[in-house]
Amino acid sequence: MAGGTLMGASLTTASARVDVAGMLWTLARTDFKTRYHGTVGGFIWALLKPALMFVVLMSVFSFIFASSPNYRLNLIVGLFLWDFFAEATKTGLTSLHAKGYLLAKTRFPSWILVVASASNALLTLAVFLATFLAYLVLAGRAPGAAAGALALFYLLMFFAITVGISLAGSVLFLRYRDLNQVWDVAIQAGFFVAPIIYPLEILPERFHFWLYLWPPTPVIQFCRAVLVDGVLPTARANLLLAGMTAVILAVGVLVFRGQVADATEKL
Amino acid sequence: MALIEARSLAKSFRIPSDRRETVREHLFNAFRPRTFERLDVLRSVTFDVQQGETLGIMGRNGSGKSTLLKILCGIYRADRGSLRVGAPITPILELGLGWNPELDGIDNILLLGTAMGLRLREAKDAVDEILAFAGLDRFANVPLKHYSSGMASRLAYSVAFKTVREVLVLDEIFAVGDAEFRERCEARYRELSAKGHTIVLVSHDPRVISTFCSRALLLDEGRVAFEGRGTDVVGEYSRRALTASAGPARA
Repeated sequence: MAGGTLMGASLTTASARVDVAGMLWTLARTDFKTRYHGTVGGFIWALLKPALMFVVLMSVFSFIFASSPNYRLNLIVGLFLWDFFAEATKTGLTSLHAKGYLLAKTRFPSWILVVASASNALLTLAVFLATFLAYLVLAGRAPGAAAGALALFYLLMFFAITVGISLAGSVLFLRYRDLNQVWDVAIQAGFFVAPIIYPLEILPERFHFWLYLWPPTPVIQFCRAVLVDGVLPTARANLLLAGMTAVILAVGVLVFRGQVADATEKL
Repeated sequence: MALIEARSLAKSFRIPSDRRETVREHLFNAFRPRTFERLDVLRSVTFDVQQGETLGIMGRNGSGKSTLLKILCGIYRADRGSLRVGAPITPILELGLGWNPELDGIDNILLLGTAMGLRLREAKDAVDEILAFAGLDRFANVPLKHYSSGMASRLAYSVAFKTVREVLVLDEIFAVGDAEFRERCEARYRELSAKGHTIVLVSHDPRVISTFCSRALLLDEGRVAFEGRGTDVVGEYSRRALTASAGPARA
């Protein structure tokens, strides 16, 4: 039994069982089908977007940053990680609204909708990473076990950050229907705040702290360090990233829990 | 102890004098006062439902029936009062509304089925049975956007009937589809009732309430105006409807 008191009303209900894994899979699969018409050809478009961006940016900026030996690899890692963040948070923001037809019909843990909304972006990132790792292996630059484990850890943190932002955004979007446009602007500006097309080192060191407060920055920098440069970030740096992730996820969960009870009334 | 205990449930909605649904509207009107009109949909509703009982709920449009059902199912939350539900609920509400129109019948069955509590494996195994119950076998692979509203409703009710938990909450269940489908629904309903499921049923149809409900409530302006046997509540509902329709004529 689950119980609670909300705004003076006390509610005690028997918990309904939901096959969380089955529902997540069904949502992810049907989202893929809706978005790409269930075809691999359709999915290729999702990969082409950051890939084409890479070609264009590389053509221009690799001349400017010719002195940076790993510029191209750093650029493509940064672009795909950024694309995941931008796509996942954008779809996460509208996830409850988009699946309102399910929320209005029955009761189930609605966070499932938010988490599942990142599935398409996650798939694109997974395909890129598999390809990128294959390249590193063929080029004789395969990351070691520690670097691989850390890269996985950073991706997990990135996913948690994305979920935290999406949880808060999904319920706030029901209250502020132009929040997706506001987020679009933030994402556009955030692309330049994160050191994706430029090496962080070109900026004075006193700005680095501020840039690291933008969540994609540490993830992109740390992933580059372990996958491209073969350098392991310090334990302190990893702890700070974990702390930042915990705060974002906690805030996301708190905002979500505070607002979700009224969500169906705002659909 | 009753399986469902509702005590003094109240629910109101705040209707603002001007709509502010965007960040822009909130910012530009931050210093402009706005007023809210309170719409009391449920004022104080108290009732019990015993294990295995079928409770009918009647009332005019706007009397609070649908809001009460949504509170029972946990879709809306009450502002005041207390509610204790001792078993998992399967809601069958507004099922004709909203599907993913781009997905075909099978994918929509899996989506709604898992949301309503079926394991994915169970939902997959039940697809043929659900389509057969809805009489939509031939349309299994057709996107929902090509279904008529009646077909979509039939499919939704068929999924819901397959996912039944201990308590069933039904909204105008027998108003959907053609005579043949309604007959299938009634047969399934009788089967579930015979198995001891507890049922809360909203309907405007006197036949449905008097036939299927051992006890019923009549809601009026957010309160329980009358409570009794199904046939008695139907009588009171009809009497009030006649009085209401006769009123303006006399005036």
